[in-house]
Amino acid sequence: MAKIKNSEEDELTIALAELAFQKEEKEKLVAELIIVREELAFQKEEQGKRAEELGIANIELVFEDDEKGKRAAELIIANKELVFQNEEKEKRAAELGIANKELIFQNDEKEKRAAELSIANKELAFQNEEKEKRAAELIIANSELAFQNEEKEKRAAELIIANKELLAFTYVSSHDLQEPLRKIQTFVSIILENENDNLSDNGKYNFQRMQLAAGRMQQLIDDLLAFSRITTTELKFEKTDINTIIEEVKAELKDTILEKHATIEAIELCPANIIAFQFRQLMYNLISNALKFSNPDIPLHILIKSRIVKGSKLNNKKLSPDKEYCHITIKDNGIGFEPHFSERIFEVFQKLHNKEVYGGTGIGLAIVKKIVENHNGIIIATGELQKGATFDIYFPAN
Amino acid sequence: MSSKQVNILLADDDIDDRLFFDKALKEIPITTQLTTVHDGEQLMNYLSENSENLPDILFLDLSMPRKTGFECLSEIKHNKKLQALFVVMFSTSYSRDIIYEQSMIDILSKIGAQDYIRKPGDFEQLKKIIHNVLIRVTEERQLNAQGENV
Repeated sequence: MAKIKNSEEDELTIALAELAFQKEEKEKLVAELIIVREELAFQKEEQGKRAEELGIANIELVFEDDEKGKRAAELIIANKELVFQNEEKEKRAAELGIANKELIFQNDEKEKRAAELSIANKELAFQNEEKEKRAAELIIANSELAFQNEEKEKRAAELIIANKELLAFTYVSSHDLQEPLRKIQTFVSIILENENDNLSDNGKYNFQRMQLAAGRMQQLIDDLLAFSRITTTELKFEKTDINTIIEEVKAELKDTILEKHATIEAIELCPANIIAFQFRQLMYNLISNALKFSNPDIPLHILIKSRIVKGSKLNNKKLSPDKEYCHITIKDNGIGFEPHFSERIFEVFQKLHNKEVYGGTGIGLAIVKKIVENHNGIIIATGELQKGATFDIYFPAN
Repeated sequence: MSSKQVNILLADDDIDDRLFFDKALKEIPITTQLTTVHDGEQLMNYLSENSENLPDILFLDLSMPRKTGFECLSEIKHNKKLQALFVVMFSTSYSRDIIYEQSMIDILSKIGAQDYIRKPGDFEQLKKIIHNVLIRVTEERQLNAQGENV
């Protein structure tokens, strides 16, 4: 039991100590409170000051705020502007990007072209060289041609001279041949007339044979001359009425036509582009040929007709199918000839009959053929013995 | 004045042709007086010497030495004293080709020839041809004389 008592006493001392302590604490707190109060008053004062300052600052701030608002609005506008400008710039940038790509592409192309051009240039340079070579070759060839031309002209000139000489020779020789011949004929005719009583029958006969031979020689000279003239004279084509030519020839052969009781029928002869004097000779020769080889038992009838016909319808290799031809037919009912002679009769000096029966030199139809050839045409003879002869002439109508 | 006599001048270089001509004239029933010259120069000399007394007719051969019949004809027809002369061209023909001959006749008549004769090979024909020409000349002379008288 002691202990408890002790404890109680202890507790009391502790509590008393405690109380003392708390008292002390309270006094400390009060002191502190006073300080705090003072501190608070000060702070209040300070707060007032601060509030004042804040009011000013506030006004200041409001003003600043206004300004800031203005600026903000401006900034917004400026911003929008910037946004717009930015957008524009982006667009431009995009466009520039595209343009750039395009330029790059074009550049590439240009480079390609440049490469191609350089190749082409080389090619051209090569071709130029070739051309120069060719030109050089051409110059050589040209001079060669010029030389050949000169030679040809020389030959042509020589030919013209030779032709003229030949022509002159033909004329002179025919003239010179004819003169003595004519004299022989004249002397014979004088003898036959004046010395008729003094000549024996045989002598007369011989002189007559002599006269005939001289006459044939004269015919030969005349025909040869005509033949050479057909070959050598200038060819002048002109539109000519063939009917007129026939009329002239008929007038010329009037006596023989009467003698042979011949009728010459000319139907629808078209005008033609011909060498008039040669064509007249042609008609003369063909008609006299028909008169000469007439059938003594039948009155001679000569039919002459013409037509214009396309070459394609004539079926002849020597005629051009595209050209138009004047086709003249001379048909008679005379003694004709064997068909296999149809080519030979046109050859010079070719005769089918003895000259005692049918005179002539065998040049007449050769002249006819030559004239047709001069007209760029062909002549075809068809005949049958005792059934007449037909001569078909084709020459270009224009 | 012997009005019936025909004065003939023949220009021909060929002796045989002159003989034929002379012979033919003698057998023609017309009185003629023949003078002959042998080439073109002789002819022109003769004509200029006798320009007051020209022949009635000149037979002029085409081909003669020194001066051809062509040249003579041209000179005659360009000379006022001679151009009235009746000229008959006389020729051994170059050819009996009618067309060629016709063109020659055309040229000759253009120059002024009155006629053209091709020398034939038959003497009778020669006489006939010369005779015909002489008849023509005498007739023309008579006509002219009548004209002068009227």
